[in-house]
Amino acid sequence: MIQAEPVVSVSGLAKRYGATWALRDVTVEIRPGEVVGLIGTNGAGKSTLIRVLSGATRPTAGTVRLGGREFRPGAPLDAIAAGVQTVHQNIDDGIVFGTTVADNLTLDVLARGGSGWFTTRARTRARAREIAAAVGLDAPLDAPVEALPASERQRIVIARAVARRPRLLILDEPTSTLSFVEAGVLLETVRDMAASGVAVLYVSHRLAEVEDVCHRVVVLRDGEVRRTLPAPVDRAAVVEAMLGDLAATPRAAGPREAPEGPAVPVLRATGIRTRPGARPFDLEVRPGEILGVVGLVGSGKTELLEQLYGLRPATGDLRLDGRPYRPRDPHDAVRAGVAFAAEERSAQAIVPGWSVRAHVTLPRLAAHSRAGLLRRRSEQDSAAAVMRRFGVRASGPDAPIGTLSGGNQQKVVVGRWLEAVPRLLLLDEPFRGVDVGARADIGRTLAGHAAGMGVVVASSDPQEVLDLAGRILVLHDGDPAGEIDAAGATTARLAALMSGRAA
Amino acid sequence: MTAVRDAPSEPRERRRSRQGAAAVRRYGLVVLLALLLPLFALLAPAFATYGNALIVLQSVAVVGVVALGVTVSMTTGGFDLSAGACVGFVVMITATTMVRFNLTGGTAVVAGLAAGLVVAGVNVLLTVVAKVPDLVATLGTMFLFQGLALIVTSGQSVSAGMTVDGAPAPGRYTEGFAWLGGGTVASIPVPVVVFALLAVAVHVFLVHTRWGRALYAIGGNAEAARLAGIRVARYRAAAYAVSGLCAAVGGILLSARLGRGDVGAGDPYLLQSVAAALIGFAVLGADRPNAVGTVVGALFIGVVINGLTMLNAPYYAQTFVQGALLIGSLVVSYTGRGERKST
Repeated sequence: MIQAEPVVSVSGLAKRYGATWALRDVTVEIRPGEVVGLIGTNGAGKSTLIRVLSGATRPTAGTVRLGGREFRPGAPLDAIAAGVQTVHQNIDDGIVFGTTVADNLTLDVLARGGSGWFTTRARTRARAREIAAAVGLDAPLDAPVEALPASERQRIVIARAVARRPRLLILDEPTSTLSFVEAGVLLETVRDMAASGVAVLYVSHRLAEVEDVCHRVVVLRDGEVRRTLPAPVDRAAVVEAMLGDLAATPRAAGPREAPEGPAVPVLRATGIRTRPGARPFDLEVRPGEILGVVGLVGSGKTELLEQLYGLRPATGDLRLDGRPYRPRDPHDAVRAGVAFAAEERSAQAIVPGWSVRAHVTLPRLAAHSRAGLLRRRSEQDSAAAVMRRFGVRASGPDAPIGTLSGGNQQKVVVGRWLEAVPRLLLLDEPFRGVDVGARADIGRTLAGHAAGMGVVVASSDPQEVLDLAGRILVLHDGDPAGEIDAAGATTARLAALMSGRAA
Repeated sequence: MTAVRDAPSEPRERRRSRQGAAAVRRYGLVVLLALLLPLFALLAPAFATYGNALIVLQSVAVVGVVALGVTVSMTTGGFDLSAGACVGFVVMITATTMVRFNLTGGTAVVAGLAAGLVVAGVNVLLTVVAKVPDLVATLGTMFLFQGLALIVTSGQSVSAGMTVDGAPAPGRYTEGFAWLGGGTVASIPVPVVVFALLAVAVHVFLVHTRWGRALYAIGGNAEAARLAGIRVARYRAAAYAVSGLCAAVGGILLSARLGRGDVGAGDPYLLQSVAAALIGFAVLGADRPNAVGTVVGALFIGVVINGLTMLNAPYYAQTFVQGALLIGSLVVSYTGRGERKST
């Protein structure tokens, strides 16, 4: 079989941020006309690889060759000039609102300054028609761009990328905002592109698409290439490689007995759905129970938790300790005894510059004040208690939160809720970016404190949940894919359910 | 290899210069104020008299009261550009209440405070309900109430004995109301007393109450505050209400001192109060809007303006000097901010 020279070849690529290696010894080749899928959990290093290839950051070690020559972009514009086009996940970054479709299609012509001093409507339209035709886009050229659906806007961005005749086209989760039909049209475009000799790096969380369009799939985990699978791609193998260490699947802790008896469930949700159009299902969390919710990115875990915390309109019928529960906002939820630690710690929980103490007491300021005046002693005690219980390594309650490691920060933002003894504790990806030791500390303390309250732990890593939960709900693409007892579960079985294969 | 060997020395140098910059930010203003006082006293002997000190304090008082309100509006990440217009509007409302409608000084105070709340209400509607960005929303409110003050008084200043509809206006500034501007408590002017009390109150409110903590949380990371169960919209509304009330108090004090409702009386107060609050950001390393810093900032501006006046700087240079102070404070407040403790 005659193989053409690879368009891009990455070898021994490494990237370090502070003490953590985002990429380690990554070697990938993409040939002309080949679509290579890049897959991995959040934090696996996909974004870093894209950033290196698109010139947004420089690697710590290793080389990238483009068309046989060494490729060292100093900035994104260098990469574009060299023929690397990246279509980012957030498509509206590439759209200028308030102008027409034709204007958007011809933006690059404007930026290059190749069209003389004056632009005329006719010239713009003629050029736009050419660009649109190349990707089969038949949107009205004079329509305002905001009148188009998301999928059409995205095709404008892709059309522009294609019009620059790239050698390597990087698509970063291009279908995350598209419907099923729209995604199908996009995949067709990708295939056409590849047929014309462009090398495509296709990043997605949707396994079905990767299976559908890619010639090869590269699986990243912890910054390393774990596996490269040729087409036809075996989904279960991909998920296994993403999540890792499936061979050893004994539960680390002994099985947590689901409490017996007719206790009223802390939470009972009837007919809840993760998003409009998804299949409704029922959910129950008993006192003292830890329910795991696993699913890949986009499977609806966050949407589920956000409903329970009043962050989005609740669907179905919710009952907390048997009483109707319909929180309008997080304030309602907190008052009802529901606690939530969000997925993105730095964006959703950390107040820059604040001390550990202030973070601990933020959700319960009223309890730490008398007549509105904050009681320093009470705050200090509470912060010290959280630090002791979770083994937080910090110089003291007054240490600025930024001086703590990620794992210790996580202990603070999870642990602060246990000071209040909530009825229901919701944790969204509580172990992301958290080192193994901190993970064990948090898990142990949660298990010890679960008595009486219900805990829901959402994660895209079944191993994390297996260690902790009594029962596990698996979500796939917004729908429930199964609910299994943790005692009889293996990571392999969970991975199969997560990938959409009935088990 | 040389690069590797050089590496350790470079951060140390950088660290030292960073620490130096932080010290300038932290103590620079206090040191500058301490240097300016003897300098002005040397150049203009009249500057360092008890009488002049009272004059400085008295003019600082109104600016300071307004600036304290602006400070509170800034804690949530907001920005109240309508504060100066609110001062002017309240001056006109209080004057009109007493002079044209012949009502009591107490009524004028209540009407003034209510006017401040109306301004705040419009700000809240625009920023919190209609989600217009704070800066442009309060800019709009500023023009709205500057204009409204003119409409209420048909574009004229309001003073006792003015002619209304062919007849002299029935009322005048009451003695009690005038005391707010010219009276003294234990030989300290009333506005200075009000400023001092309000400064302490705002400081305690921001630093030692749970409401102040919540405001700072919203300013630091609104999403984190919301997820911790804080009702962000209510707090932002309350911050504007405090700002409006402070501007109203400033307007009442100013009206009482002037003894008449001057057109455009509130105009200088926006620039000075915003500058005072922004200068205060960096004082003593607070790195956020704070009452102590605002008091220092207001004093600083008052001293500079008074000192330059004593040195016979022309009155028309004042706006330029204030503009320069504002720009300086903006640079100090925003430029060094990236240097605060990582993440």
